[in-house]
Amino acid sequence: MNALILSAIWGVVMMFSGIFTKSGAAIRGIAITGLALLLVVNVLDFQGTALVDINTRGMLVYNTFSYMFLNIVFGATLLYFFLSGSDMERVGLHLAEYFALIFFILAGISIVASFQTLLMLFLGIEIISIPLYILTGSDKRNLKSNEAALKYFLMGSFSTGLMLMGIALIYGSKGSFSLETIGAGTGVITPLLGGGMLLLLASMSFKVSAAPFHFWTPDVYDGAPTVFTSFMATIVKVAGFFAFIRLFETSFGSVQAQWQLFAAIITAATLLIGNITAVFQQSVKRMLAYSSIAQAGFMMFALVSLNGKGSEGLIYYAAAYSLATIGVFAVLIKLNDYTFEGFNGLGKSHPLLAATVTICLLSLAGIPATAGFMAKFYMLSAAVENGKVIWLVILGVLCAAISVYYYFRVIQAIYFKDGEPQVAEVSTTFKVVMVLIAVLVVYFGIFPQRLTDFLYMVY
Amino acid sequence: MNTIFQLVWLIPALPLIGFFINGLLRNQLPKAISGLIACGVLLGSFVLSVLVFLQVKAGAAQTVHLFDFINVGNLKIPFDFKIDQLSSLFLLIITGIGFLIHLYSTSYMHEETNGHFARYFSYLNLFVFSMLLLVMGANYVIMFIGWEGVGLCSYLLIGYWFKNVNYTAAAKKAFVMNRIGDLGFLLALFMMINQFGTLTYGDVFAKAGEASTTIITGITLLLFVGATGKSAQIPLYTWLPDAMAGPTPVSALIHAATMVTAGVYMIARSQALFVMAPVTTNIIAYIGLATALLAASIAIYQNDIKKVLAYSTVSQLGFMFLALGVGAYTTGVFHVMTHAFFKALLFLGAGSVIHAMSGEQDITKMGGLRKKIPITYITFLIGVLAIAGFPFTSGFFSKDEILVAAYEKSPILFWGGVIGAIMTAFYMFRLLFLTFFGSFRGTHDQEHHLHESPISMTFPLMVLAVLSLVGGLVQVPHIFGGHPYFNEFLAPVVNSVEHTGIETLEYALLGGTVVLLAAIIIMTFKKFSVDSADGEYTGFKKVLANKWYVDEVYDFIIVKPIRFLSKKILVFTENEVIDWLVNGVGRSVQWTSRQIRLVQSGQVGSYVLLMVLSILVFLGIQLLTKK
Repeated sequence: MNALILSAIWGVVMMFSGIFTKSGAAIRGIAITGLALLLVVNVLDFQGTALVDINTRGMLVYNTFSYMFLNIVFGATLLYFFLSGSDMERVGLHLAEYFALIFFILAGISIVASFQTLLMLFLGIEIISIPLYILTGSDKRNLKSNEAALKYFLMGSFSTGLMLMGIALIYGSKGSFSLETIGAGTGVITPLLGGGMLLLLASMSFKVSAAPFHFWTPDVYDGAPTVFTSFMATIVKVAGFFAFIRLFETSFGSVQAQWQLFAAIITAATLLIGNITAVFQQSVKRMLAYSSIAQAGFMMFALVSLNGKGSEGLIYYAAAYSLATIGVFAVLIKLNDYTFEGFNGLGKSHPLLAATVTICLLSLAGIPATAGFMAKFYMLSAAVENGKVIWLVILGVLCAAISVYYYFRVIQAIYFKDGEPQVAEVSTTFKVVMVLIAVLVVYFGIFPQRLTDFLYMVY
Repeated sequence: MNTIFQLVWLIPALPLIGFFINGLLRNQLPKAISGLIACGVLLGSFVLSVLVFLQVKAGAAQTVHLFDFINVGNLKIPFDFKIDQLSSLFLLIITGIGFLIHLYSTSYMHEETNGHFARYFSYLNLFVFSMLLLVMGANYVIMFIGWEGVGLCSYLLIGYWFKNVNYTAAAKKAFVMNRIGDLGFLLALFMMINQFGTLTYGDVFAKAGEASTTIITGITLLLFVGATGKSAQIPLYTWLPDAMAGPTPVSALIHAATMVTAGVYMIARSQALFVMAPVTTNIIAYIGLATALLAASIAIYQNDIKKVLAYSTVSQLGFMFLALGVGAYTTGVFHVMTHAFFKALLFLGAGSVIHAMSGEQDITKMGGLRKKIPITYITFLIGVLAIAGFPFTSGFFSKDEILVAAYEKSPILFWGGVIGAIMTAFYMFRLLFLTFFGSFRGTHDQEHHLHESPISMTFPLMVLAVLSLVGGLVQVPHIFGGHPYFNEFLAPVVNSVEHTGIETLEYALLGGTVVLLAAIIIMTFKKFSVDSADGEYTGFKKVLANKWYVDEVYDFIIVKPIRFLSKKILVFTENEVIDWLVNGVGRSVQWTSRQIRLVQSGQVGSYVLLMVLSILVFLGIQLLTKK
């Protein structure tokens, strides 16, 4: 709760800070301070020391999962600020506004981490989406950026329409927005309720870029300034998943049999399209866009299996995936050439960057001893535990094998091809944070319990 | 619990530590230090082995539990050491002779560079470690670990001079031949797990009675296949003569005194199983005899000093298996011990000769060495007398016991054994006279360099010579007023055969031995203490000199067909089928990737259309599947 308030306030602070100073370093400093405060406030909240206590009348309910998830989101954003904060200056002049928008998105994420009514879900999703449309088009003079923003906005509006329609249908059927009221006594699915549920499934799938509602993703991720793609593809996406699971677990958990098939079809389509299309890409940025679709396919397993292990796994996946993807994007931003050839010879010219980005890629590919492996393992074992979708598990494993191809293409370029990569100046902070990310990826890969233990820690 | 048994794990652990130190620091350590470490750890193991032996002799045999090794379901394989009469005896042989050979090696290998010198000793230590595991293990799995370990070390040491292609080929041959045997051993283990659910010696033997004779025969035959690999019996013996490519002390340690006796140890250890399988023991006896005769006949016309000794080893191992086959298990073990003494002595003596001859191994180019290297000569002579079975040397007692045991079983085995023994005496004296008598036939340079070896090489020779002379006195037959101490010592573990009413045979053997030996010595002395070597071999001699062409036959009936098949599989199955499948999967994914990419047209209209269609399909499915 306190994180929500603080992130909204800090967004306003960021906006005004742009008037008083033009110094990029100062603005970054304020943003990082704000984020650090957010993290502290959230941890305090987690431990039961709320600074402000507001009665939301059951509209927002924070539980352990919410706090844990927000910790991961804020932590990952902090790392993201350290790594890529300075690169935002290259996008345009309005640095303070970019940070402000990101803080507003974090406010939206705080809502979707805790919503207890469909109304709050809608508000949260929109608070996240609208700043994203702006960030996508922030490179004003770039035609691709403009096109991406417009596309994103058009299709985003469409999916918002679907969501509102779904909410309306459900309200018509149940007479309430409250998730628990909807969940209680939903033994029989009326056409009204069923239609609403499907529309929600479709619109949420759109938000997390699950096939066949993923079409916006490659175009938008590719067109948006890379530094914002990194944020969209990681933190925003896992927030969407968190909302997705929370919604379906609370409202429709008891009628899982009615929609599990659709979830499974969406998962299978996402896995196949994401992985197979990524194989042929020539640009690493576009490959990462498809890879984010492919990874979404794995996160969908939490929805399909809908059990404790799945929820646990989603938290874990959120951390593992965000860390690794932020790391890869951070290095990609520093490169001049976004094609695979742009990485040629990085191993010789920048051994540290090469090693850390390689660890991140290994994690994305799900190689053992990295967090990515354990994340996939959690997801697949959750599905096995569920027992009804073994075919999906097999498909998942096969797709993970395909993913090795395109991730290793980058590693191959880094270490086994000669070239003179054009790399922008990197600061010491950047290197330190990259090493930190690599260490975390390996650490969580070897001691997975260290992350999930937090979930059950009693303060 | 006696304290010495708490330290028993140190016996194999010390050489392992030596292996790690020498192996990891091989480029840092000076030769003196790595030699000292390698010998020191072995001396430590030897001292412990002696203490353990004394305890066991006092009747304190026991099984020492170290830790649980494998614990899966019903299968429990503890990491236990069985310290009893049989294993403690082998411990003495391995660490004792092993130490002498380590000591000898410090001089023999002195011309190697630091790194290689330490590498040599690390292998040697690792070998001793593996051999100790093999004999100390309280179940077949530990034995198998050691069994594989000695096979590996043998490979490493034969190929020690890895820059020589022929040597690495010999190493490979040894490894492959051993692996064939190992497969048999492994299958036997699987059968035992299947039948008895355990691999611990005591439990297996206790349960063996419940199994049918067919099963036991199968298990024992497979065990014997394993033994033929490691102990160089027909048909897997051909690796041993080639193994002479390794440094000579290695030949002494591995290919004479220890590793090749692993098969004998295994069969003696599994005696409880073998006594239940008469078919197997008959096969063992005849294979042993055939090996003894075949190898002896080949040895007669070999001119490489190490080759002669190698074939004599194969032949002597044949005698040991003959003993095992006729049920005289203690006698087989007895011959293992005496053979370890005199064969290690002979090999180390040969090493000393080669050392003196600046690397020359061809005995037709030697001659008259007895005055130049007297210590080597005298000790070598003792070794020859022992192996030839000269009365009251160690070899005499053990070989006579084998013949007595064979006589009780069947006249064929007995007379075959006698012929083998005669051939043994013949080729050994031929070797002795060609090398040490007559006049020198080598080059002038070699003659100039002739010198006696340093004390670190002659000391082991002298110790082994004494052992070869008196080592047989632990088991002197009744007619000489002796007592079977050896059999009595082993009695709790290995049954012995009681010989009664055989005084006549004993006297006849003694008399026959003396007469025959005298005849052979005179004959070979006349023929071989010559000034020049005989020329090319012709006719049957040529067949023998070419080792009955066994290698060529194996090459033709096994190696060539396998190569042919392998080539076919490589060309067809590998390239055409598997590659096609594997590449096909990759290509089809790439093709699909190109096609799916086209859906991503960039047109918002088509995207929205596709999304709407998907939702309609979902709705349709929901309506259709509604109950």
